[in-house]
Amino acid sequence: MSRPSDLVQGTLDLLLLKILTLEPLNGFAISLRLKQVSGDILQVSDGSLYPALHKLEQEGWIKAEWRASENNRRAKFYSLTRMGRRQLEREADNWNRLSAAISHVIKMEEA
Amino acid sequence: MRLERWFYSIPLRFRSLFRRNAVEHELDEELQFHLEQKTQHYVASGMTPEDARRRALRDIDGIELRKEECRDARRVSRIEDLAQDLRFSARTLRKTPGFTAAAVLTLALGIGANAAIFSVVNAVLLRSLPYPNSEQLLTLHSNQSLPDLEDIQKQTNSFAAIGGLTIQALDFTGQGDPVQIYGGLCNAEFFDALGFRPVIGRTISPVEDAYGGPSLVALTQGFWKRYFGGDAAILGKSIRLSGNSYTVIGVLPREFWMPGRPVDVLASLRVVSPLAAKSRGVHFLHTYFRLKPAISLARANVEMGNVDQWLALHYPEENTDNHRHLLPLRDAIVGDVRPELLVLFAAVGLVLLIACVNFASLQLARSATRQREIAIRTALGAPSWRLIRQMLTESVFLSLLGGVAGLVLAGLGVRLLMALKPAGLPRIADTSIDASVLSFTFALSLLTGIVFGLVPALSTTFFGLNAKLKEDTRTTAGGSSGYRLRKFLVVSEIALALILLISAGLMIRSFALLHRVDPGFRTENILTMRVELPEARYREQTKQRQFHREFLEALNAIPGAQAALVSELPMSGDYITHNFVIEGRPPLPAGREPEVQTRTVEGGYFRVMGIPLLAGRDFGSQDRTGSLHVVVVNRAFVAQYFPGQNPVGARVQWARSDPPDWMTIVGVVGDIKHFGPSEPEEPAVYDLYSQTAQQWKRWMYPTIRGAASAGILLEQVKQHLWAIDNQLPVTQVFTMNEVVAASLDHQRFNLTLLGIFAGVALALAVIGIYGVMSYAITQRTSEIGIRVALGAQQRDVLWMILGQGLRLTLLGGTLGIAASFVLTRYMSHLLFGITARDPRTFVFIPFALLAVALLACYVPARRAMSVDPMVALRYE
Repeated sequence: MSRPSDLVQGTLDLLLLKILTLEPLNGFAISLRLKQVSGDILQVSDGSLYPALHKLEQEGWIKAEWRASENNRRAKFYSLTRMGRRQLEREADNWNRLSAAISHVIKMEEA
Repeated sequence: MRLERWFYSIPLRFRSLFRRNAVEHELDEELQFHLEQKTQHYVASGMTPEDARRRALRDIDGIELRKEECRDARRVSRIEDLAQDLRFSARTLRKTPGFTAAAVLTLALGIGANAAIFSVVNAVLLRSLPYPNSEQLLTLHSNQSLPDLEDIQKQTNSFAAIGGLTIQALDFTGQGDPVQIYGGLCNAEFFDALGFRPVIGRTISPVEDAYGGPSLVALTQGFWKRYFGGDAAILGKSIRLSGNSYTVIGVLPREFWMPGRPVDVLASLRVVSPLAAKSRGVHFLHTYFRLKPAISLARANVEMGNVDQWLALHYPEENTDNHRHLLPLRDAIVGDVRPELLVLFAAVGLVLLIACVNFASLQLARSATRQREIAIRTALGAPSWRLIRQMLTESVFLSLLGGVAGLVLAGLGVRLLMALKPAGLPRIADTSIDASVLSFTFALSLLTGIVFGLVPALSTTFFGLNAKLKEDTRTTAGGSSGYRLRKFLVVSEIALALILLISAGLMIRSFALLHRVDPGFRTENILTMRVELPEARYREQTKQRQFHREFLEALNAIPGAQAALVSELPMSGDYITHNFVIEGRPPLPAGREPEVQTRTVEGGYFRVMGIPLLAGRDFGSQDRTGSLHVVVVNRAFVAQYFPGQNPVGARVQWARSDPPDWMTIVGVVGDIKHFGPSEPEEPAVYDLYSQTAQQWKRWMYPTIRGAASAGILLEQVKQHLWAIDNQLPVTQVFTMNEVVAASLDHQRFNLTLLGIFAGVALALAVIGIYGVMSYAITQRTSEIGIRVALGAQQRDVLWMILGQGLRLTLLGGTLGIAASFVLTRYMSHLLFGITARDPRTFVFIPFALLAVALLACYVPARRAMSVDPMVALRYE
């Protein structure tokens, strides 16, 4: 039950929203894309991906529709809503501030 | 922002809830798609299809678990839990139809009775009057004269409009038989005060509302529909009222309504009755004050106080002791009946409480039989809050069912109330099951279910369980807390029922005493009705007197009939008073003279009515128009003004008679209960139609004692009346017995309702005590078996059980008596002839209850007596 590089609490939402800014994707494609763009460092477990997507849908940040996948199978595609875009901006800002602060602390010279 | 979120989430939730299958299917399809893709992905990287599939499944780490997490993300599980609880409740309740029926019926009785009484309270006390902005409408306690109203209008600043209205019987002819209708005589501002715009035409304008103004009339909706079929062409036409013609100028909306006073047409008081309108001393106008916006009642009353002083200063004769006090119109209309309706409401609340106690007790009894099930569910890991919730769901489910059944009962109950309706309850005709009654019933049901479901639910899960698992092998004498709780419930039930029974007992005693009151006159075989002579044709007293003579002659010519006339029929609610002075007594300032009841009679009234002559003589044939002006007084008059003296020969006259008109007292008659059996008689003076100077007394009640039945007699009377004048309507036809019975309508209404409530309460309490005793006996079967095996006689067993029931009853009874002692004084205004702590009632009723309760214990006790020790000991 290994979960490689467990995501920092709450960042999964941010990553999923960000990935969906480019184009509507189905769940499997999302997990692939995430792995690709992070250079294989970030990987979301299949187990936590779908509950997270359903939660985002429930919040109204993404919406789902059924359409044909590349290989012509019916698949559920998620895309970002207007509210989702705003939420992404907010979370990205938070993340930038937080990560800047953390790296600031880490780079601190030892006395 | 929030709204936008709902825009997405609400349709999703509805989908999750109501299209569960579709949502489940989609979830499945989504995850299957993922699995296939992932498998292909692994195959592409060189795995065998089987390994790839296995790997993909492992990645997702339990597909069912993920599905559950997705469902949780959709956050509908709470509602689904509820649905599950409800389904489970429905199933268990269906499995115990006896219990379900008993519980629903018990609650339906309690809730239904409450909903019915609440709908009356709602119609009479709570609903606002049907006028625009009715909270601005005020009235004065006392009636006013038109000149005083005009001065109030000039001297004050608080009111947008001040209306005055008096109601007078009018004859409406020209549409077949002459009929008596009611005319509202008012000022022009009356329409502004009430705030009604006519549906067609217009109302009377201030210019037309003047002495000598045009004869105009506005019709009420009912009158318009009844006699003109709602024809708009009536505008501008004339109708004949009491011999005069009036031009119809408008029709009022259907909502126009005068509390307790039927009105058919409206006309200007100044036009129709200029003399009465001008007289400052005639206080006959009901008043309707409309406050200006933002003016308080207190401020208006301060102004009214100043007007009082001003009027007393300028018109002392007509304005002594005038304390004008404004109050909201609605309070004035419902004022008298508020306390008695509240007593009924409290009583019906007690019924509900008893029903609820029974309900709780039933649930306890059932949870006792379900303890094994509950123990198992607990052992399997159901958290106790989940069990409590399940039981609460069940109880609320039952109480809502009870509420629905109660509404059906309430519908019947309202019809019953309407059948009983006492004329004295204003606005009761508007009683209906409306939105507020529905919400009241719903809230009541919900509350009942929660409060009275919580007690048994808590007691079984928290207190009952451990004990249950331990004690289950041997059922011992009533030790469980559930049983103790049930005993407590029965005790409180008996106490509550006793309060209601004592209240009903007090009412019954009062009613019996009222019935036994001697009214002071004969009531059998006397027919009465009202006849009024229209002013147009009978203005002169000679014409009136000629009519009286001819009418009486014709009536007395009916075989076996004896007839007389009276101006104010006993117990009809009518009365007239006059200020008077006694010859030779020191003069009093104008307006301070004593007041007496004045009744005008003709033709042997005392003989017909059987009112005894106590001193002097009755009126006789020698007393005619122009002869010595004579009067007869009653015993109350003598007691008050001639105590210990003989009044015969003394002279009295109406205050400020001009010219002087002294009347000689020639006789004294007995008192009658003029104002109903519960009211004392007031000093009264009787004079004769043939001698009175009061030409405005154009109405009369013929009282006819006859051998024939009332129906035949009435036909004969009508024939004779219309032979004299075929334009005279006959109204208010009653036998004297009916008049007396009607005077008790109010008490009968209260008594009937309290009686029903007490009966229901008694039945519920008996069921309660029967239930708890039966339960106790099943619990003690083995103990009884042992006792019998050890040599106890059947009698001992019987007494043991009865003794237990007796203890509960005595405890409940004592509490009930104590509570009644405190509570019944709130109903003392409904009682007659006894106090709220009438000893006979307080002794008799508890004994009766005790007897009934023992009977309820006896039936299960008989069963206990016949316990076979062998069977009982094997019973476990």
